[in-house]
Amino acid sequence: MRALPASVGAVAAGAALAAPFFLDRGALNDLWSLALGVILASAWNLLGGFAGQVSLGYSAFLGIGAYTTVLLSLRGVDPFLTLPLGALLAALFSVVIGLPAFRLRGPYFTIATIGVGEAVRVSAASVSFTGGSSGLRMPAGSFDFQLNYYSMAILAILAVALSAFVRRSAFGHALAAIRQDIDAAESLGVNSTRFKLAAHALSAAVVALAGSLYAINFQYIAPGSVFDFRMSLSIVLMPIVGGVGTVVGPVLGALVFSTLQIKLLAIPALRDAYLLLYGGLLILVMLYEPKGLVGLWLRLTARLRSSVPAPGPEVPDAG
Amino acid sequence: MTDLVSVLVNSLLAAGLYATMAYGLAVIYGVMRIINLAHAGLMMLGAYVTLTLFDRFGLDPFVGLVVTGPLFFLLGVVLHRVVGRRLPRSDAGPSMESLLLTFGVWLVLQNLAYYVWSGDTQSILTGYTLKSVAILGVRVGVPSLLVFGASALSLVFLNVLLRTTYLGKAIRAVTQNRDAALLSGVDADRISATAFGLGTAFAGLAGGMLSTLYAFTPDFGRSFLLKAFCIIVLGGMESVTGVAVGALVLAVLENGLAVYTSVPTSFQDAVSFTLLFFALVAFPQGLPGLFSRFVRRGALH
Repeated sequence: MRALPASVGAVAAGAALAAPFFLDRGALNDLWSLALGVILASAWNLLGGFAGQVSLGYSAFLGIGAYTTVLLSLRGVDPFLTLPLGALLAALFSVVIGLPAFRLRGPYFTIATIGVGEAVRVSAASVSFTGGSSGLRMPAGSFDFQLNYYSMAILAILAVALSAFVRRSAFGHALAAIRQDIDAAESLGVNSTRFKLAAHALSAAVVALAGSLYAINFQYIAPGSVFDFRMSLSIVLMPIVGGVGTVVGPVLGALVFSTLQIKLLAIPALRDAYLLLYGGLLILVMLYEPKGLVGLWLRLTARLRSSVPAPGPEVPDAG
Repeated sequence: MTDLVSVLVNSLLAAGLYATMAYGLAVIYGVMRIINLAHAGLMMLGAYVTLTLFDRFGLDPFVGLVVTGPLFFLLGVVLHRVVGRRLPRSDAGPSMESLLLTFGVWLVLQNLAYYVWSGDTQSILTGYTLKSVAILGVRVGVPSLLVFGASALSLVFLNVLLRTTYLGKAIRAVTQNRDAALLSGVDADRISATAFGLGTAFAGLAGGMLSTLYAFTPDFGRSFLLKAFCIIVLGGMESVTGVAVGALVLAVLENGLAVYTSVPTSFQDAVSFTLLFFALVAFPQGLPGLFSRFVRRGALH
């Protein structure tokens, strides 16, 4: 069973890397957005899915990555060299937030993260070195879409690989234990705060990397784009629609989202309907299938299998 | 000295409004153990309904509240029917599903407002919007005063409702112990619907009042939602008084910060978020921990 998703993943990765030889610029742009979605969703899922800590403040990390890259590029540093620093800063910030915030459980943690996201956005728009609410532009003459595409695609492949690796590692098992029953996990010797902090830092770093690449490709950032609540929102919705706590879920969610974004929202009458779409999806998923598309798939296959008399219904663990 | 008086007067006025918006959240949380993120969207909607009543029918925003309140009560009952009732309930505390579901409702409401009223910034300008009067030597805007009066009235109404009517006693009973309330014959489902309606009505009222003080867009309400959370975390949810105290604490901190420090006003919202953060951290069990402490203290008396 394990070999199948891995080989599908390898084929998808190969296709993503070969795409520039076959597709035109428009299609590659769409793929670039898909890759961004896959990275953000998979990274969020490390904490929100595997460890069950739902955060609505992830735009802060995206913004930290993006701003680090633009601010340093404006001082003459090569944009791609700024990636590690952005990731490091985001990881540090995640620990600073996490230390107090992880004392909160479930929905209380979630509400605190809305506050953090808002505070960061308000601050970025109010202080002067970030260019205030009008934002910042990258220095001219540093644009190479081919390079941008490859870097985003490779990061997406790495993010999914990381997610698959974490899921099977001892670290991933500890996170799963925290999600299922934090008190039981603690009593078995899992230091829940440390594991949550580690997962938070890891996912923050990955999101910041994506933020840097975002800034490099768009050449312009502002609190209204990278720190926007809408950004935090889509980061959360992709894995939830796809299926939280699984490796494929966030990828599926990103696929659904970028397709919706590109096909549906391109229709002029629907351009402003994204909130309706996001909200409607969220309501449907929560009412009917909280495990998302992966849950739907498992339910379907379980039903098919149970109609065959042999070994009886068995719900496999979500891959 | 005038600074101090000004901080106190302004805080008191702001606290009335804050308490109104916080109480809507508290009553729903108390009865249903749901953190209603749609509250922000409902406040936004309240502002737009008030605007429409004002523009179309020439209804003064404060007279409009008389329409907005009952209208939103009905809306809340419908919302409860459509989504609220289907939520998994747990006594351990609010579930993630309910949080995300109400979040979805909020987004849908926002989009609805974009369609109906467009994304342009709106505000309500009445004859008295820019007028002010002096209280204890402090210039106070007439709208702020009216808002304070309206919120005080609604809180008194609520307090009387909760203390003297069967409905109010049933709401309090379900808040304290749902199972015990069920055993004594309270129709918890109907009480939930009523509480949801009440909470929604208060969101609508708060939104209507906010519309006389601030400009708004469909994105309006998020920072006020956070303030409302902050207040119920600070003040507990057992009593209207607790919510009022929480509201006052937040208002004094905000106003004091604006007057006594050089923190720019654009940072003011960051204060309530920071306060929220530390209030949540100081009560690690969040609202239920605080809530059970209140109940235990009540039992000792």
